[in-house]
Amino acid sequence: MKLAVFVSDFRNTVDTLDRLKAEKLGIIFVQNGVYHAAVKEKGKASPVLNAPADFYVLSDDLDTRGLGNADLADKVKIISYSDIVDLIFNEYEKTAWL
Amino acid sequence: MATTKLGFIVQRAGYKSENPKLAITHAISSQSVEIYLNDGDLVTADIAFVGDGVLNCIKNQKAMEKYGLSSTESHIKNSLLLDLNVMVCKEDLARFVLTEKDIVIDAAEFGAEMTAKVVPFSEITKMMEEMKHLLFF
Repeated sequence: MKLAVFVSDFRNTVDTLDRLKAEKLGIIFVQNGVYHAAVKEKGKASPVLNAPADFYVLSDDLDTRGLGNADLADKVKIISYSDIVDLIFNEYEKTAWL
Repeated sequence: MATTKLGFIVQRAGYKSENPKLAITHAISSQSVEIYLNDGDLVTADIAFVGDGVLNCIKNQKAMEKYGLSSTESHIKNSLLLDLNVMVCKEDLARFVLTEKDIVIDAAEFGAEMTAKVVPFSEITKMMEEMKHLLFF
């Protein structure tokens, strides 16, 4: 299964993510999930970024929170709303929202 | 003459919920109750950002440009304009590898003289002990 997971919160998502198995996993950070991509708590990147996945972050939600490219982890790609639509229709079979 | 002290503690990141912005809105609106008070009575409001709440203070928020929403940043600046005491926890900022340069410290463009203060949590604790009412958001 090719699964895209929208991570919309900064807390309480890591355990659930650990349990999700997919042949191809994409993690899309939206809303407060963008903090996983841009904030280093105690100098360490979010544990979510250790998952075997492709990582994306919604640019509008980064900008809304005053975060930008400079804050981003290297493995995360910035995308737009239309990119999300492309991912859903072209790259993944299922989506989940955390 | 009596002073009622209100303490608003913001402990969650913004936008996912309206909670942090509501804290600031309530703090600001607390300054408009004069008509209900006796002469000489006062209501003061202090706002402290702790834990994940310090993420609300990151500057250059573009909520209005992106979603047509007033930003938490603008709410913080409005509270400074009203001379509210705004405190940001030093230890929690450091936890997110943020410094004073990364957060909203003043609202000079609005003519505000008050600035936000980055303080150790011990100082926020002291503030909380002085309050008559504490409200957590």
